Amino acid sequence: MTNHWIDIKNTDCCLIIGSNAAEHHPICFKWVLKAKEERGAKIIHVDPKFSRTSARSDFHVPLRSGTDIAFMGGMINYILANNKYFKEYVVEYTNASFIVGGKYGFSNGLFTGYDAKNKIYDKSNWKLEMDENGLPKRDMTLSNPRCVFQILKNHYSRYNMAKVSEVTGVSVANLTKVYESYAATGRPDKAGTILYALGWTQHTVGAQNIRSSAIVQLLLGNMGIAGGGINALRGEPNVQGSTDHALLYNILSGYIPMPRADVATFDDFIKKVTTVSKDPKSVNWYQNRPKYVVSLLKGWFGDAATKENGFGYNWLPKLDPAKSWEKGDASMFFFFDKMYNGQIKGGSVFGMNPCQSFANANKVRKAMANLDWLYCADIFNNETTDFWHGPGMDPKKVKTEVFLFPSCHRAEKDGSVSNSGRWALWHQQATSPRGDSKSMGEIMVDIMNEVKSLYKKGGTFPDPIVNMDFFGKYDAEKVSKKINGYYVSGPNKGKQVAGFPDLADDGSTVSLNWLYCGSFTEDGNLMKRRDLSQTPLQAKLGMFPNFSFAWPMNRRIIYNRCSVDKNGKPWDPDRVVIKWEDGKWIGDVADGGAPPLGMEKGKLPFIMTAAGVGNIFGPGMVDGPLPEHYEPIETPLKTNSFSGQIHNPCAKIMYGEMDKRALPGDPKYPIVLTTYSLTEHWCSGSETRNHPALLEAEPQLYVEMSVELAAEKGIKNGDVVIVESARGAVEAAAMVTVRMTPLKVQGRTVHLIGMPFAFGWTKKGVGDSTNRITVSAGDPNTAIPEYKACCVNIRKADKVTELAVDGVTSENEMTGGNHV
Amino acid sequence: MNITRRNFIKATGLGAATITLGNIGCSSASAQGYSKQLKIKGAREVISICPYCSVCCHFIAHVKDGKVVSTEGDPGYPVSQGALCAKGSAMLSQINDNKRVLNCLYRAPFSDKWEEKSYGWMVDRVAQKIKETRDKHFKEKNEAGQTVNRIDEIFHLGSSQMDNEELAVTGQAMRTMGVVHIDHQARV
Amino acid sequence: MSKTFFIDTTRCTACRGCQVACKEWQGFEGNQTKQVGWGSHQNPPDLNPKNYKVVRFSEQKLKDRVAWNFFPDQCRHCVDPSCKYPADEYKKGLVILDEETGAVIYTDACRDMPKDVFQQMLDFCPYNIPRRDEKTGVINKCDMCVERVKEGLVPMCVKACPTGTMNFGEREDMIDLAKKRLGIVKKEFPEAQIIDEEAVRVLYLVAYKPETYFKTAAAKPGTFDVTRKEALAKMGQSFRNFFRV
Repeated sequence: MTNHWIDIKNTDCCLIIGSNAAEHHPICFKWVLKAKEERGAKIIHVDPKFSRTSARSDFHVPLRSGTDIAFMGGMINYILANNKYFKEYVVEYTNASFIVGGKYGFSNGLFTGYDAKNKIYDKSNWKLEMDENGLPKRDMTLSNPRCVFQILKNHYSRYNMAKVSEVTGVSVANLTKVYESYAATGRPDKAGTILYALGWTQHTVGAQNIRSSAIVQLLLGNMGIAGGGINALRGEPNVQGSTDHALLYNILSGYIPMPRADVATFDDFIKKVTTVSKDPKSVNWYQNRPKYVVSLLKGWFGDAATKENGFGYNWLPKLDPAKSWEKGDASMFFFFDKMYNGQIKGGSVFGMNPCQSFANANKVRKAMANLDWLYCADIFNNETTDFWHGPGMDPKKVKTEVFLFPSCHRAEKDGSVSNSGRWALWHQQATSPRGDSKSMGEIMVDIMNEVKSLYKKGGTFPDPIVNMDFFGKYDAEKVSKKINGYYVSGPNKGKQVAGFPDLADDGSTVSLNWLYCGSFTEDGNLMKRRDLSQTPLQAKLGMFPNFSFAWPMNRRIIYNRCSVDKNGKPWDPDRVVIKWEDGKWIGDVADGGAPPLGMEKGKLPFIMTAAGVGNIFGPGMVDGPLPEHYEPIETPLKTNSFSGQIHNPCAKIMYGEMDKRALPGDPKYPIVLTTYSLTEHWCSGSETRNHPALLEAEPQLYVEMSVELAAEKGIKNGDVVIVESARGAVEAAAMVTVRMTPLKVQGRTVHLIGMPFAFGWTKKGVGDSTNRITVSAGDPNTAIPEYKACCVNIRKADKVTELAVDGVTSENEMTGGNHV
Repeated sequence: MNITRRNFIKATGLGAATITLGNIGCSSASAQGYSKQLKIKGAREVISICPYCSVCCHFIAHVKDGKVVSTEGDPGYPVSQGALCAKGSAMLSQINDNKRVLNCLYRAPFSDKWEEKSYGWMVDRVAQKIKETRDKHFKEKNEAGQTVNRIDEIFHLGSSQMDNEELAVTGQAMRTMGVVHIDHQARV
Repeated sequence: MSKTFFIDTTRCTACRGCQVACKEWQGFEGNQTKQVGWGSHQNPPDLNPKNYKVVRFSEQKLKDRVAWNFFPDQCRHCVDPSCKYPADEYKKGLVILDEETGAVIYTDACRDMPKDVFQQMLDFCPYNIPRRDEKTGVINKCDMCVERVKEGLVPMCVKACPTGTMNFGEREDMIDLAKKRLGIVKKEFPEAQIIDEEAVRVLYLVAYKPETYFKTAAAKPGTFDVTRKEALAKMGQSFRNFFRV
């Protein structure tokens, strides 16, 4: 989230799209309702299904899953065509005025520079033009036909109401209602927020869905302000922290890019990851990256990391260069394929359940049996820890040696987690871990220390292991001190750094994550703070600056320099995030300490981009600088109404024997399936299925479908049905409901159904993973699979197997509540 | 009494709040003697955080004799202000659940059952497996002859269930071993 | 002074924090529930000896919108609890009206109550609340978490609620709050009302007619018009279908 949970209350319009906030982040809805009741904010829910979120929204707009870019593109068109944008903000704070280079072009669904063989773009075609001094060329009148603004206008002029309606299935009346309500926030004294979640990321155009919101928010001047922002409602309990700390193949802690094989030396790497700007008005924060890289390497390799050996850069593993859609991608999307093909020998799964939760789970389950060894840490047995005796598996034929370490509950350990609003929060140990259970940190540290002691006796490439500066025993407080960082030499040796400005690139400081600098200083562990005091200005917005610690530097709303004009005066005097007063900023911690843009030594507001402004035109994306609608990999349509390019040309698609997929418009699979979580279970359900009160509330796998589809298929509410795709079949109980709506798409009716994925075979009679039918295709930027849209068919089951529990299937008379 | 209860209440014109229980002909008594003892009385209060979604609602664990006897929302966390959804409200069951894995379990190749093992045995054997595989398959150069110093045959998954500190040590451990197949729930 | 709940269903998101918090506090086991043959999020389907609280879901397609109504159902702690009449008639002290809080309490001794007396309690209840565990004989329902209330804490369901749906406090305060909210809600939903305001200590604010939530959201027809005298006169007869309409 660029903002934070409580800040939702400050909005005038809350667009919930690609999220079911009330069901998946139930407590946050407190703040949504507050905005509605206290500010009269409009709450809009755009989602294929009418959910508990829709029930409390001003209106719900059903759209076909996978058409969000068409929907948002229509909104961009509406904003531009009706002059609803915030002109001063757009001109000064975004790259709308920048001139796009001559090589950029777009035709029939493809941007220039496409390499069809490798399914990759040459992004050098999308560069912005620089003048002779190395500064971006700009046209502050926004009239140059090659400026971003005009290119944007031209691109989205194709997204007219009729076309958008034809693709999304949203009526023109509904489109108008949403666009009008939301575009009304394009004024200095209005704020609109976008809440999204996995409903946006889990598409083959996932990253571009979010880019479309960035464009809308920049046009309306909604970034950096209270009640605004782009708010990713992070899914997992500490997915914010686990992303920050980079348990991902493509980054190191604090979003430092992972080294690639074509960057051979430390110096080359530093050059590659350090951005340059010749504009004195640009803060260009990543010019500081060398300090963060060196402090991290110093933290990992201690005394062995020296200037002479590039601080151990050579010891880091390197990915292959990303020369094609698949090259150099080490995400689970690819390594499960390698595992299926026998190329992976062993590994670890901690607190995760991919045999249940990953797309095309039948393949994942088979792949696991190819491992020689697997060690897991979890609090309950689940479909992954116990894969070797799952459905269709003969244990006598599974060679895998499996180790299951019992991990303890969070209440049984100390440590910190980061909420979606970037607040790092400390939790305390209430009791000692039950039985032989231990924290995952302790298990990891003990195993690694054993590996280290083995390598001290010799082995292949032992240097990084024997030279690592590690922890003898896991101690959360000690680790968090090192995450923050401290001085290892010089006059302050042994002292904690106060913030990342203290970090150095000469090896005198360590920090395991520069973003968390300031969380554990000489003043103590700030993550433990429970002080609710605020200044009146802060209290008005609910910033709580003395509660815990928010990265970066305790900033509660990032990009907050956009909330003021060039002179440091808040756009909206009623919602002051920061304000330049008596030569300093008050309110939130301002983004960089420099004075407002219009003053001497003033700086541009977007301190993290090299140009200092927000990117309406985004030349860094893998699949195009502007979002463009493409159909999901499995689509009920034969054509894309917007171009001749039916799918995202860079989409990651698996082509193996178990990765079958339906072709566009395949009559065998005419129904769109979207999958989701539910309030009462957590993700794969491996924990919550064990809690009596939760299993009682949501006991079995169901499929939500419209009354119309049910009638067409002869299915009654509560019937057991089979949902099948090209990859498999799943048994579910039919939930026939007016909350699902057939949509009119390209002149015909398209049906959508929805299913949760929390039910798995390790709990008898609840059903088994919905992901056995989801598709092996992913977003080109992130490799996140397209869980939200695949094509299926549905029929009444002949017999009940996965959902059979004693005495359950025989009674069919009950009907739910006022249910249809 | 020949007047209906509803009419009676209306007839008084005083509003329900002023009616005492006695004057509507109902015997009343204190329930004190019948109600249960407050189970959290005298318990130690410890603040922890719900391990489900990223709202990170805080909860109070009430601890007696080293055991969590009750959990409820922490009003001191300004985001949740003491509230908990269905999942957060089930925290006590999760902590004390009798289906939790409480012993180190080992499944030998081609076996159809788990065996209990000691923690030390597990750690040693896992470390050996890692070393065997890494020693055998470690790759210093890729096909193009570029230095890669990595082990493609080992993967690590998870977890966003970990604390920041656990993530930091896991990230360091994996990178120093040369593991690149690293991922977690951000892609699920 | 007595306590009162105000349950603002127009704010409810059916997160079921209340339903689960209640169950956890009471230490109740789970019921075996299902979707097969049921097909509704409302689970368990009804109140039962192991659920003092069940969030009811009802949905309907209106002219231009879908209405999905949520109703966290529980004992209303009637100002004059009719379930108490047959119980008192059988033996005084089994059902207690707690003076301090207004809580209606079924004591543990209720477990020995004969079948027909329990049936009368159920028939007299305008909201179909009392439940009996056939195995143990225990008769139970929401007890207002009276042991918490007496220590100055709010009932567990109120504590858990994130949205301001569940409120608890002095009766006057709750009535004020309910009326204030009714005024606001009525602007959008002209049928909005507070159900059986004078008769109960659990005030429900609903946006639509109570019967669109479920059958006994408001009192069963007739139940509140029966006088105590009439009720007592009927005592001993079979009441099974007396109030049913």
